[in-house]
Amino acid sequence: MTRRFDWPDLLFGLFLIAVSAGTFAATWRLAGGTAADMGPGYMPRAIALVIMGFGLFFAGRGVVRGTALGIERVQARPILGVCASVGAFALLVENGGLALASLACILIAGIASRETRFAQLVPFGVAIAAGSVLLFVKALSLPVPIWPW
Amino acid sequence: MELFDNLLLGLQTALQLNNLMYCLIGVVIGTAIGVLPGIGPIPTVALLLPFTFGLAPASSLIMLAGIFYGAQYGGSTTAILVNVPGETSSVVTCLDGHEMAKQGRAGPALAIAAISSFFAGTVATIIIVLLSLPLASLALKFTAVEYFSLMVLGLFAAVILAHGSVSKSLAMVFLGLLIGVVGIDVNSGAARMTFGVPELADGLDFVPVAMGLFGLAEIIANLERPEVRQVVSQKLRDLIPSLRDLKAAFPAMVRGTFIGSALGVLPGGGAALPPFTAYALEKKLAKDPSRFGKGAIEGVAAPEAANNAGAQTSFIPLLTLGIPANALMALMIGALMMQGIQPGPQVMTEQPALVWGVIASMWTGNLMLLIINLPLVGVWVSMLKIPYRLLFPAIVLFCCIGTYGISNSVFNVWLMLGCALVGYFFIKVGVEPAPLLLGLVLGPQLEENFRRAMQLSDGDPSVFITRPISAVLLGVVVLLLAAMLSPAILRTRKRALAE
Repeated sequence: MTRRFDWPDLLFGLFLIAVSAGTFAATWRLAGGTAADMGPGYMPRAIALVIMGFGLFFAGRGVVRGTALGIERVQARPILGVCASVGAFALLVENGGLALASLACILIAGIASRETRFAQLVPFGVAIAAGSVLLFVKALSLPVPIWPW
Repeated sequence: MELFDNLLLGLQTALQLNNLMYCLIGVVIGTAIGVLPGIGPIPTVALLLPFTFGLAPASSLIMLAGIFYGAQYGGSTTAILVNVPGETSSVVTCLDGHEMAKQGRAGPALAIAAISSFFAGTVATIIIVLLSLPLASLALKFTAVEYFSLMVLGLFAAVILAHGSVSKSLAMVFLGLLIGVVGIDVNSGAARMTFGVPELADGLDFVPVAMGLFGLAEIIANLERPEVRQVVSQKLRDLIPSLRDLKAAFPAMVRGTFIGSALGVLPGGGAALPPFTAYALEKKLAKDPSRFGKGAIEGVAAPEAANNAGAQTSFIPLLTLGIPANALMALMIGALMMQGIQPGPQVMTEQPALVWGVIASMWTGNLMLLIINLPLVGVWVSMLKIPYRLLFPAIVLFCCIGTYGISNSVFNVWLMLGCALVGYFFIKVGVEPAPLLLGLVLGPQLEENFRRAMQLSDGDPSVFITRPISAVLLGVVVLLLAAMLSPAILRTRKRALAE
């Protein structure tokens, strides 16, 4: 790479620009109205305009400012593990029941860490899943099935 | 005396058996999460919110408040014994507290921390009582114009006083405001930015947003770092500090309390600023500043007092004006709204038992904390032996169940996952997510008041500076911004926050 960028600033700026552009795209049908009688589109677009300003500012500063600032390397394992774990819970909770969803959530979350010992995590997961069912369904009466059947 | 009537009413509420129990539950949970590094009060309060729905409003607020100030106590235990701050507020306590522990004086350090916290908590409760009435009666005169200006001031002050880059935090506030307008527009009934998703019609729930940004994103980031945790293992026998220790600590305690109380009221003052300021002041006042960092007892007493006092007085803007001083108070507003109570100055007159009950419960809660923390300190230390590799899957699960539970919607779980990814991105680019939460919670109110103000004034924005109270409030905003741009203040702020 020939040029050095302040990556955190640049990425944050680009993120803001994307959000702002997305807002304009999503609200262009809504009536803006006038300041005295605002339509539903007035505030979102006004805020999006400000965000666009911030985005351009950060992105510009990230490019212009010569200081090279990197970002700590992204590790795939924690992200994928936690995402898969939450996803499993979301997919299982209503059809598979809380007991199954909890156990799956804990075991899959274990993948996220290199230090996980599954011999330890399995009994721990069973205990926590049982505890969650007792606490949330029995004691706090969360309306959710416990078992898949 | 109206004041005593109020206090009496508050004590009546706080001393009801079930409220005492919820207070105890709150402070115990608070201490536990305070002791454990890696989980803070924000995800915990967010997690418990859905389950406070069935409680009486006073009970639920008493419990959630207990979690917040309980966490301040617990955080210092970890700071002293492990040299890892259990919470951001106890970063400073590490400096001298851990030194004391290394010198074999862990007992007195823990005791002084707990006593300072208790003292500060008691004084702060009285300050809340004294300030609440005049502030609330002032706020009753407010119209939409003043409210809008007040919220603007609150948001700006929160951004400027909190740590992190001011411009980035401001951008985060606007992001929060933007996602706050998602949903059906109240005035026209038009769906805004819902992308055809029916679950978004009522707007984004802030619980999944908070849990994703604060809970899950933190976990992902924590897992990238190897775990370091070393407990100072020594017998905690001499818990009672000597008279000499007490004498040395007392003036520091008093100063810390007042600094904490003053800074806590300011929006954004919350938990991080008071202990730093108190520590810096003690160092400046000391005859021999070189003792600091080497186990000076004042260096434990002052910041501990300050952070507890600050944690409590940050309830003042919430209870009197309905404006959150920090992200946690924003969650408290959410708790109120879930109970069908619109936060604002009218709460004080309409729900006196609730407001005064919560205030009085802070005192009973502090008393409980003193007992929970001193004789039982061994229990909390043993909690530190739970390895993070077991802790984090459980936290992930609780986040899932809590988010699902808020309205039995799987959509919220997916939303939380999305927010976790965004939150992880924020951590990577070094942006604080707390201002976003403030913007999200205040967004709808801000828009409502702005629209109403503009309707009243026929679209003339000068109304915000022709009304005196509003003009003063906005003037303060301008002053704050101008001050931020001056290089001298910029430097001291950087130093104060970095120290």
